[in-house]
Amino acid sequence: MFDLSPGEDLELLVDTARSFAQDELAPRVRDAESAREVDAEVRAAFRQIGFAGLELPEALGGAALGPVARALVNEELAAADAGAALALDPLGPAQYALAELGGEEALKEFALPLLDADGARALLVTRSECRLHDASSDRVTGRVPWVPADRVDLLVVLAPDGAFAIREGIEVETLRGSGLRAAGASELRFDGAPVAARWTGAAPATRALARARLYVSGLLVGTLRQAAEFSRSYALERTAFGRPIAHHQALAFLLVDMYAAVDGARLLLHEAAWRAERGSGGEALAASAFVEAVEVSRFVGPNGVQVLGGHGFMQDYPVEKYMRESRALGLVLGGVDAAIEEAGRALCAEEAPVSLSFAEGP
Amino acid sequence: MEFNIDKAMRERLEETRERGRREIRPIGLEADRLGRPIPPDDPYFAMLIARGEGRSRWPGPAGRPKTAGTGGANKSSARATRSVVMHLLLAEESAYWDRGVGVANPGPGMPEPNVISMGTDEQKERFLSRFLEPDKPRWACFAMTEPGAGSDVAGIRTLARKDGDGWILNGAKCFIGNASRSDWILVWATVDPEAGRAGHRAFVVEHGTPGLGGFKIEKKMGLKAYESTSFTLEDCRVPAGNLLGGEERYQSRAGFKSAMGTFNAGRPMIAANSVGIGRAALDEALTFARDHDLLGDPRVRDRLEQSARKLRQARLLYLRAGWMVDAGKPNVLEASMSKAIAATIAADVTALGMEMLGGVGARGDHLIEKLYRDVKAMDIVEGTGQIQRVIMGRHLVQLPRD
Repeated sequence: MFDLSPGEDLELLVDTARSFAQDELAPRVRDAESAREVDAEVRAAFRQIGFAGLELPEALGGAALGPVARALVNEELAAADAGAALALDPLGPAQYALAELGGEEALKEFALPLLDADGARALLVTRSECRLHDASSDRVTGRVPWVPADRVDLLVVLAPDGAFAIREGIEVETLRGSGLRAAGASELRFDGAPVAARWTGAAPATRALARARLYVSGLLVGTLRQAAEFSRSYALERTAFGRPIAHHQALAFLLVDMYAAVDGARLLLHEAAWRAERGSGGEALAASAFVEAVEVSRFVGPNGVQVLGGHGFMQDYPVEKYMRESRALGLVLGGVDAAIEEAGRALCAEEAPVSLSFAEGP
Repeated sequence: MEFNIDKAMRERLEETRERGRREIRPIGLEADRLGRPIPPDDPYFAMLIARGEGRSRWPGPAGRPKTAGTGGANKSSARATRSVVMHLLLAEESAYWDRGVGVANPGPGMPEPNVISMGTDEQKERFLSRFLEPDKPRWACFAMTEPGAGSDVAGIRTLARKDGDGWILNGAKCFIGNASRSDWILVWATVDPEAGRAGHRAFVVEHGTPGLGGFKIEKKMGLKAYESTSFTLEDCRVPAGNLLGGEERYQSRAGFKSAMGTFNAGRPMIAANSVGIGRAALDEALTFARDHDLLGDPRVRDRLEQSARKLRQARLLYLRAGWMVDAGKPNVLEASMSKAIAATIAADVTALGMEMLGGVGARGDHLIEKLYRDVKAMDIVEGTGQIQRVIMGRHLVQLPRD
C-alpha cells in the first residue's frame, strides 16, 4: 500500500493552515520582512491553533502528527511566507534531534519550556555548518556564520553520531540576511558556552537529519509553488505584442516546466514523508527529496523573476523574495552537497536492480 | 492518491521480471545486433500465443461461454487486479528488459481500444473475434502518422472518397508499428482536408486488400525489435461496413475525440516505458562503476544519485496519471506531464550512463549504448515533448489552439 492522499483529518489541517497562511501571513509579508518578526497577534493565533506542537507526542500536549502532516502544513505556510513559518515555529527541526536522540525526556526538558514562550526559537544546525574549536568538551567555543533567527533560546548541534544542546552563552550578532528575514538573520558566537546535554547514536542522528530535511523541503515546495503560481497569473494578465505573454510559446513552455518541476519535487517529498512516517529506512529518500527541492529552487526561483521582467526585479512584486528565500532555504542543514553525498552513498551500497520505491520494497 | 500493490500484482511483476531476464532481453539484443525486427514466424511469438498472450480484451459476443486460457497470464485472480496502474508497472518492468520487444508482441494492440469504444457489435465480432483464441500470432495496427502529419494529427491527407456502397482510400502512412504483419490496419483518413478534425474517418483495411501495398520497413536508430513501416493506399477500395462505427458516428466531433482518447491513455504508458529503460541504464551503470572501482569518485556517485532520484520522480508522475484514470479523474495535464518529463529524464540517465562507460560506450557493444539509442524515441512517439508542453500550456495558461 502506498498512499499519497492526505485523508479527511489531514485535509482539515491543510485547510486550516491555508486559511491561516492566506489570511494572516500573506497580507503582511513585506511588513514581517522589514520588522524581522511576525506580528504579535499573528504569533498568538498560531499558538492558539496548536501548530507549535504539531508533531509533539500527545503526552506532552502535542497533536502527535507525522512527517506527512508537516510537509503539507509547511507547504501552505511557506506559500505565504517561508520566513514567517520559521519565525512562528518555536521548535522547528530542533525537535527531531531532541525526540530521536533524547526521547520524551529531552522534549520535556528542552522543548516544552519554549512552546508557550512568545517568540521563542529553537534552532538546529549541523556540525558542518559550525566553526567550533572543540566540540567534545563541556564548553563550546566558536561560531555559526548564519542562522535564520534574531533570537536563539536553544541551539542543537547535530553531528553524524549524535548531538549536543546549548542554552546559555550564545551571543547573537544580527546580520542583514539574504532571505527569510521575517525569521531574522544572525551570526552566533560562543566563548566557552556550557553544553546543556549531549546525546549519542548514529541511527537516531541520521533519522533526525532526515526529518529536518523533510521539514525544509516542505517550506521549499510551498515557496516555489507560489513563485510558479504568481508568475503564471501575471503572465496571463500582462500583454506584449498583442497577447498575454503566457501565450508566447517561449513563456508558455517555461511556465509549464516550472509547474511540472514543483509537482515533481512535491511528489518526491510526499513519498519520502510517507516512508518516514512508517519508521526508519527512508533517510536516503528524504535526502533525495531535499536535493530535488533545492535543484528546483535554482530553476523556479530565478525564472519567477524572469517572467515578470523588470517588474520582477522590483520589490513591489513578491517574486524576488521567493528567489532569495528559496535560495536561502537550500543552504541550511549543511546544504545540498551533503544530501547528495548521503543519497549517493546509500545508492552505491545497493546491488542492481536498484529499488526505486515501494513497488520493489519489502 | 493511493496504490495497493497486492500479492497478485507483485507476482505478476515478478513473473514479468523473470520472463524479461529469460526471454525479452536476449531476443531484443539479438534484433539489435542483426538490425532487423523479430520475424513474424519467430518461435518466440508462437510461444507467447501458446501461453495465452496476444489476446483481445474484448469479452466476446454476448452469451459467449467463457473458455479458460491456457496460460498463467489469464488466470482470474490476475484479471481481478487489472488496473491502469498495474498495466503501467508491468509496462515499466517489460521495457526494463527491452522496450522494442513489447511493441512487437502479437495482439490487437493499439487500435483495439478504438474498435471496442467506436465499433459496432458486428465490427467487434468481425475484427476482434480472431484475437479471442488466436490460432497463430496475429497483429493489428493503428495508422495515423503520415510523412506530413506527425504531431499535428489534424493535418492528415490520406483521402477517403465515397464510391457507391464503399470507400476509396488514397494516401501514404509512415512509422506504423507492425504494419506489414498485421491482419488489418486501422487507417485514419479524411473526407475533406479543409475540414480538419471534423473530416476524419477511421477505416479497417484488411491485409491483402487491393491497393494496400508498398510496405517498407524503416531503418531505425534503436528499438529494432519491432517494425516501423511505411505503406501506401492507391485507389484502395474498402467496403462501407469497414468504416469504424458507421457514418452516423462521425456526425459529431466524437470520431476524432475517440482517437485523442487513445493518446491520453498512451502517454503515461510511454512514461512507464521510459522509466523502465532508464532503470536498466542505471543498474548497468551502477554495476559497471562497481566492477571498475569507480564508486570512490564523488562525481560518479552524484550522477548515480541524480539518475535514481529523477527516475523515482518520473515513476511517481506516471503513477499519478495512471491512478487518475483508475479513479475516473480527467488526467490530460498529468498524462502529458508524465510523458514529457519521464522521456527526457530517461534520456539523461542513459547519457550519464554513457559518460560513466567512457570509451567503452563508444565501442557500440554495451547495453547502455543500446539503451541510449532506444530511449530517444520516447520523447518523440505519442506526441513529442514539445507537443506535450503545448497541451499542458492549454491547461495551465489557456494557450490558444491557433
